[in-house]
Amino acid sequence: MTLDFGLIVQNLPEILAAFWMTIWIWIVSNILAVAFGFAVATLRRYGPGWLGLLLRLFVEVIRGTPFLVQLFLLYFGGPFIGLSLDPIPAGLLGMTVYATAYYSEIFRAGYNAVPVGHVEAAECVGLTRGQIIRRILVPEMTMLVLPQCVNMAILMMKETAILSIITVPELTLVVGAIGSQQYAFVEAMFLLALFYWFLVEVSGFLGRIAEARLSKFRFAHS
Amino acid sequence: MTRSAVLVRDVHKSFGDVEVLKGIDLAVPQGSTTCLLGPSGSGKSTLLRCMAFLEETTSGTIEINGQPLGFAETGDGRRTRLPAGDIRKVRSRIGMVFQQFNLWPHMTALGNVTEALVTVRGMKRKEANAKGEAQLARVGLGDRGHHYPSELSGGQQQRVAIARALALEPDILLFDEPTSSLDPELTGEVLNVMRELAGGGMTMVVVTHEIGFAASVGDKIVFLDQGKLLLDGPPSEIFGAPRHPRLQQFLETYLDRGAATLV
Amino acid sequence: MSMRLFELMLWAAGNTILLSAISILIGFVIGLMVCAAKVSANPFLRIPGTLYVSLFRGVPLLVQLLLIYNLLPAVGIMVPSVVAAVIGLSLCTAAYQAENLRGGFQSVPRGLLEAADMVGMSPWKQLVRIRAPIAFRLTLPALVNEAILILKASSLVSVVGVIELTRMAQNLSASSFRPLLFYSVAGAMYLVICWAVAGGGSIAERMLRTGSRA
Repeated sequence: MTLDFGLIVQNLPEILAAFWMTIWIWIVSNILAVAFGFAVATLRRYGPGWLGLLLRLFVEVIRGTPFLVQLFLLYFGGPFIGLSLDPIPAGLLGMTVYATAYYSEIFRAGYNAVPVGHVEAAECVGLTRGQIIRRILVPEMTMLVLPQCVNMAILMMKETAILSIITVPELTLVVGAIGSQQYAFVEAMFLLALFYWFLVEVSGFLGRIAEARLSKFRFAHS
Repeated sequence: MTRSAVLVRDVHKSFGDVEVLKGIDLAVPQGSTTCLLGPSGSGKSTLLRCMAFLEETTSGTIEINGQPLGFAETGDGRRTRLPAGDIRKVRSRIGMVFQQFNLWPHMTALGNVTEALVTVRGMKRKEANAKGEAQLARVGLGDRGHHYPSELSGGQQQRVAIARALALEPDILLFDEPTSSLDPELTGEVLNVMRELAGGGMTMVVVTHEIGFAASVGDKIVFLDQGKLLLDGPPSEIFGAPRHPRLQQFLETYLDRGAATLV
Repeated sequence: MSMRLFELMLWAAGNTILLSAISILIGFVIGLMVCAAKVSANPFLRIPGTLYVSLFRGVPLLVQLLLIYNLLPAVGIMVPSVVAAVIGLSLCTAAYQAENLRGGFQSVPRGLLEAADMVGMSPWKQLVRIRAPIAFRLTLPALVNEAILILKASSLVSVVGVIELTRMAQNLSASSFRPLLFYSVAGAMYLVICWAVAGGGSIAERMLRTGSRA
């Protein structure tokens, strides 16, 4: 078995398009999921009790079932309830819903990790609840949860490979198909693995830099 | 006779089945320093937190400058909760200093001091900064405004917390064990600031274990034990002989710290 | 859904549990070795150990599974797909478990080891009597978490043709045109399994905590 880099060069445009697809779905779904996840965590904390319970159920169900089963349910089951989606929108939606549940848990823990005293101090100087959330809780929580958010985003990068199973033309699907056509599936997969590895390591490195820059905000007092 | 800055009448407070305060009556005269002493679990911190409305009393009333805090009596012995705006208004007369400082870690020292000036009092940023700088200078930290809490020592952090409370020009400052989480060599700087405030006529209520501070600065010593107010009087009377046996017992636990010689 | 189909789903759920349990166990053993290699002072052990963790955590499990499933026959090793699946899951979880174990061992308070030193315990005794038991307790929540992750990740072995819960739901959906039903049932079964593992984990944690107090 020899590694055939010609494989990449010959199919460069297709691979680049697939790479773009992976990155695009990853970024858009993660941005949406961070926003929705924050909303879910905030509503669970401050919203009415019934809504909190409902959202908790949503989070537990998403976190307790495989992403692949969720995707199958959405992609193959959707049409039976009038939700016929093409692979790409289905992948984007599935990924967003899945990531929302996980991000919401990070934010929930973040809310809880802000010391009660910091909120009490804000109450004592007369900040309203809205001001306390905006000015104290959210910024404090942001620096607490940033490392976990970076980790989650990296986990999600790897999850995008699963979208290939519902035929989203992302990296795994396209590289796998090229490999099969050229009777070099193992080589293709090997190169793909190396590429994902590179991507994950680079993201992790960038995340650590971001963290270091925020480190002076770390808690002065345990 | 001057009106009391804080007037506590028959306050009870329970957490679940546990009654922590069992009918407290207390008057804090204006311009005085009142020190709350007592063994741990005596309810002194809870009483202070009730005065800041961080805890809601189960029954009884608290008045700040003659205004009811949180609840008003309806005449038939019951009480109603006051509107949030009224609570906010009465509370704005009170400043609080916590044991754990509770500085907001994402804001500089100056940011901590000016936050409420801008967001609550609606002051212009520039004006607030000038005022914040002045308050920091008052606690001896004029040059530390742009440091983050994590870059300051515990004593400096607590002084920033005092400046944060002072910036809102409260009539009454409440201190909840302000030196208890500091290393011994850092308590002095905080106590000195408090001493100066007391000298300047600020009304203060201080929960503390610093017996020496209480004896020398306090105008009034209040000793709580098991949720009840056991003693209430000037230091000379409270610490002078004959001492109440419970107080004597309490003070003896501080003997090894040399506290007994201080009083 | 008829009783017969439900039984098929239950049988497939059993496969999922079995597959995951075996992978977790093998992964724990490999993980211990990788962890030992990674914290070793010897660079010939440390560098491969570090690389192993980085690689297996940096590549999507699906890609790992496809690679192993196709690589084994390419180098002349003929094994059933279920074996390839177990190898893939074990190698992957080993990397995560190695990191968990490393965290556990590093979180053992120094003072406890110094105390052991002062009463004259040999380094080996310290490892067996003090470090390992405490590290294991500290790692248990992470292990339970990893078990749940692998249970869910095992759904991916359906792509190499292993008949576990997801693959069964896929087959039954295709033959009956009722994907909503079968994927929902599969999802519910995963949920029950994951909750059971999480519940068992917290019971185990509580028992260990009681033990430590005695």
